[in-house]
Amino acid sequence: MENKKYILELKNINKYYDDKRVVNNANLKIEKGQFVTLLGPSGCGKTTTLRMIAGFEQPTEGQVFFDGEDITSLPPHKREVNTVFQKYALFPHLNVFKNIAFGLKMKKVEVEYVNRKGEKATKLVNLKRKPVEQEIIGKNGEKTVKIVPFCRQYKMVTTKDRKGNVTTKKVNCYKAFIEEKVRRALKIVGLSDYENRDVNSLSGGQQQRVAIARAIVNEPKILLLDEPLGALDLKMRQEMQLELKSMHQKLGITFIYVTHDQEEALTMSDTIVVMRDGKICQEGSPIDIYNEPKTAYVADFIGESNILDGVMPEDKKVIFAGVQWDCVDVGFEPNQKVDIVVRPEDWEVREKGKGILDGKIVSSIFKGVHYEMSCIAGGYEFIIHNTIESPVGSEVSLYVDPDNIHIMTKELYANDKQVEFLSNTTLDLYGGTYDFDPTTLFDDATYDGDNDILTIDGEETALKGKKAVVRFEFTDVEMTDDEMDAPLAANVESMIYKGKNYIVCLRTDNNHHIFADTEYLWDDGDRVGIAVKPDRFKLIRMIEE
Amino acid sequence: MKKRKLSGFTRKYLAIPYVVFMAIFVVLPLLILLLYSFCETRSDGSLSWNFTFDNYKTIFSPSSVQMLTRSIYVGLLTTLICLVVGYPVALFLADKKYNKSPVLVMLFMLPMWINFLLRTLATKAMFEAMEVDLGMGTVIFGMVYNYLPFMIMPIYTTISKIDPSLLEGAADLGASPRKAFVKVTLPLSLPGVLSGITMVFMPTITTFAISGLLSGNKISLIGDFIDLQVVNSLNVASAMSFIILIVIGISMIVVNKYDKDNTSTGGGLW
Repeated sequence: MENKKYILELKNINKYYDDKRVVNNANLKIEKGQFVTLLGPSGCGKTTTLRMIAGFEQPTEGQVFFDGEDITSLPPHKREVNTVFQKYALFPHLNVFKNIAFGLKMKKVEVEYVNRKGEKATKLVNLKRKPVEQEIIGKNGEKTVKIVPFCRQYKMVTTKDRKGNVTTKKVNCYKAFIEEKVRRALKIVGLSDYENRDVNSLSGGQQQRVAIARAIVNEPKILLLDEPLGALDLKMRQEMQLELKSMHQKLGITFIYVTHDQEEALTMSDTIVVMRDGKICQEGSPIDIYNEPKTAYVADFIGESNILDGVMPEDKKVIFAGVQWDCVDVGFEPNQKVDIVVRPEDWEVREKGKGILDGKIVSSIFKGVHYEMSCIAGGYEFIIHNTIESPVGSEVSLYVDPDNIHIMTKELYANDKQVEFLSNTTLDLYGGTYDFDPTTLFDDATYDGDNDILTIDGEETALKGKKAVVRFEFTDVEMTDDEMDAPLAANVESMIYKGKNYIVCLRTDNNHHIFADTEYLWDDGDRVGIAVKPDRFKLIRMIEE
Repeated sequence: MKKRKLSGFTRKYLAIPYVVFMAIFVVLPLLILLLYSFCETRSDGSLSWNFTFDNYKTIFSPSSVQMLTRSIYVGLLTTLICLVVGYPVALFLADKKYNKSPVLVMLFMLPMWINFLLRTLATKAMFEAMEVDLGMGTVIFGMVYNYLPFMIMPIYTTISKIDPSLLEGAADLGASPRKAFVKVTLPLSLPGVLSGITMVFMPTITTFAISGLLSGNKISLIGDFIDLQVVNSLNVASAMSFIILIVIGISMIVVNKYDKDNTSTGGGLW
């Protein structure tokens, strides 16, 4: 029963669209009352995850637990969650009041009844049909109590107007109940007096508020918000961020919020879940995610950062940008390759010679609170945020507190790929035919090109049809402008700037990733060819059939 | 100089050719029709200018009134059947889950590519081959067969334009699929339904040939009556045409009144 603490739990969720895996083994536990943000670039599976929680999509594998109960196959209308849609999805044929009242009118309540066998049982009925007691005053003034459906219940309400006239009116309790709830929801979103407006006549921000009111009026256990502020302008968005945050505190319900805007996520969330390629990369509080990113990707996505390649020669020492720095991290293997992240505001700019790395300021932009400066040092470019400006052209020295150097193990540092040999000099990689040099691929190999005879360890071998895992470094990948110039084509998916070079993530047409290290800046979505020189392939191992 | 001349030319002048066409071939003939319906024709075929109500009297004879009511009855029944049959079809065609290609929609439109007389003759031949007695039933069948696409098309268009997120929204707020249909899809498809109704009802009450062919000339409707009268007396035919014009005018006003509430939403044919 340890599940009870969590209002929602995703267990080993996988979701495929045709062959494409959009959510990859997602595990997530969400505590009651939290404001959780799913953060990631478009196409990272965050919206799909949300839709699986709402019930619009079924996970291909895995389970969704709600309050400890498996709701994986429960249709959306039976789930106690409500969604605020990206494009609001307000009903155009209903006015503001009816839009908000929609959920209340659909609401089902559990009632006890006696079934045919005479046993007590519970069933779900429409709120409208819920049996309630109604006191009826007969002709002679005698009172009787009758059971009536909620929509037939009425009460007498006496009101006094300004002149002091007392009037008594018969009020339908069901209608009054709905009216009160709708009014309260409208008040929470700051749209009182808008009840009778046509939703099409409202501005984007107002429609957004109606959409929120429509969801919260049902008092769901979880409110799902799918990039609800995406269509608003910046000012409106910032205002709504704060309002949403205060609404969350007031209502005390769990919010699950989807966005690609890291600032939004940092502003509002209790917990941020960073997603990439359908995988959850890291979850934690905004402060944790910002200060202790687990991977270079997370660091790059959340806030600005300087990301560099480094090596750990020993504990508490790291080498990057050509010099050795002190740090606080321990437990790495000697000379392990790592990613280094330094936040721009963590640099200390000192006089030349008094820091660790000497460099020169090449640009400086005033950003309101701080100056954003660019410094070239040791051949690398660093971004520095500082409230004190160092003039362009000045020689400085950079220092960073050991605590502020974030070190993370590299996820990958070379492309290790499974290939199939097509002949003694060509191999197939994801459908592209590459030439390779057998004498560099294998140790102790000779190759007679004229007669196509390959000798490995003195033994004549034919490679055709055999499979192997080969390695080529990120720097071995050459990207060509024209996809026809290379055996394999791919799209640029993302890039990380490493001070001097870019690590580019390429996605081939059949959804495989290849990483490249290049000095040139490409754009996301660029179509490129992937070329690798024949002598760059290294054998990792042969795959025995 | 040249530029100034051009600036005087606005887009509205482009409508002149059509306005002229309308005036000559629509407004003028209607006026002539009105004139004819109040006049008599001499035995030599020329028009006498005596103003008379005789043509209208002929029409309001019991047999003609019966024919008029029969036509309206056939029109209403055809429209109703088309609606009952066409709505589910349109609903199915608009559902991307079941209908993934436009071929199916085209198949429903395909009969329209064949001349309606040929279609009707073929229907008749089919009924005869199956030894079905020709009569009211076969006439209604022929009508439904001919006009069903006019019902399906506008409803299909409006339903496919409904944002699928609205249905997700309804489900999210606790509406079962059936409730979501009643509360969201149905009201939003009404403009299409009204378009469909007018597009079926209007032509069915004035159609001719279908009734004659499919009932073995047992049942004749207003269309057939006018067709007959054009040879006998152009004046009576004119009067009858005017009566129908009024009937259709009234039905249009009724339909448009319902349509008004929904003009901002949906995507009817107008």
